[in-house]
Amino acid sequence: MKQDSGGWSPYIAGGLSGVVGILSVWIAGKYFGASTSFVRTAGLIEQVFGADRVAQMDYFIKVVPRIDWQWMFVVGIFLGAMISAVTSGSFKLQAVPDMWARRFGAGSVVPRALTAFVGGVVAMFGARMADG
Amino acid sequence: MKMLIYGLVTGLFFGFLLQKGRVLRYDKQLGALRLMDMTIVKFMLSSVIVGMVGIYLLYDLGMVKLSIKATILGPVIIGALIFGIGWGLLGYCPGTSMGAVGEGRWDALWGILGMVVGAALFAEAYPMLLRTVYTWGDLGKITVPEVLGVSHWIIIPLFIVAAVLMFRWFEKKGL
Repeated sequence: MKQDSGGWSPYIAGGLSGVVGILSVWIAGKYFGASTSFVRTAGLIEQVFGADRVAQMDYFIKVVPRIDWQWMFVVGIFLGAMISAVTSGSFKLQAVPDMWARRFGAGSVVPRALTAFVGGVVAMFGARMADG
Repeated sequence: MKMLIYGLVTGLFFGFLLQKGRVLRYDKQLGALRLMDMTIVKFMLSSVIVGMVGIYLLYDLGMVKLSIKATILGPVIIGALIFGIGWGLLGYCPGTSMGAVGEGRWDALWGILGMVVGAALFAEAYPMLLRTVYTWGDLGKITVPEVLGVSHWIIIPLFIVAAVLMFRWFEKKGL
């Protein structure tokens, strides 16, 4: 694997992402977002166990469980990050982030997993409440 | 189908740039929350500055529509506080969690799983929240220029000046 060739200035990468945002609004009429896709995913999964119940829930009537522009956008983020990481030698399989490892030890895989899971539950509940 | 391809391609570019900016990492996100490393703030504000100028230009030319969300103080303030607690624990936000997995930081997978559960729980709580939190402080679909009664071309330069001053201060302090 190649050596990590280093990142770009966050000002440059951020500015360019602004250009991507402008083009998206211009061409597709779509503004960036990610958290709605987690609602659609939850709905798609719940449909497997009880489609009738999902069809009657207010929030899934408002945010219909289906694959849409944003859902594919989120998949694209995964793939784009992977392409960038692999081609620059900065792809690294890691179960515990460096900062976490310095504080809690590199072997604390389970505490990290539990914290990330609980954090995810809480973060998404808050994000959805604020409509973000 | 065309929209799905647009979504995928836009995400590819955005994910590529997020990775290049090194903003997908737990250390960068916690670094910002611990006021130690402002990389993600630099990335976000640079994106916002470029985006706001371009989109308002196109808006003035009648070529795009704005997407303004309602400002309801109750859910925005309470939701943001809840989100912040979760973000601090997880160390990724919804979009960056996917990018983090793409970069190999697979602890983000636990967060993604948690976020799907969080979304499902929110859907359960929604009818109750609609009767309570969502009725607190509904200001409607407002914007800063509209509330102040000035052109957006007054607010945008002021925003850019404030951001650049902050960038300079970050660089001086080595943040």
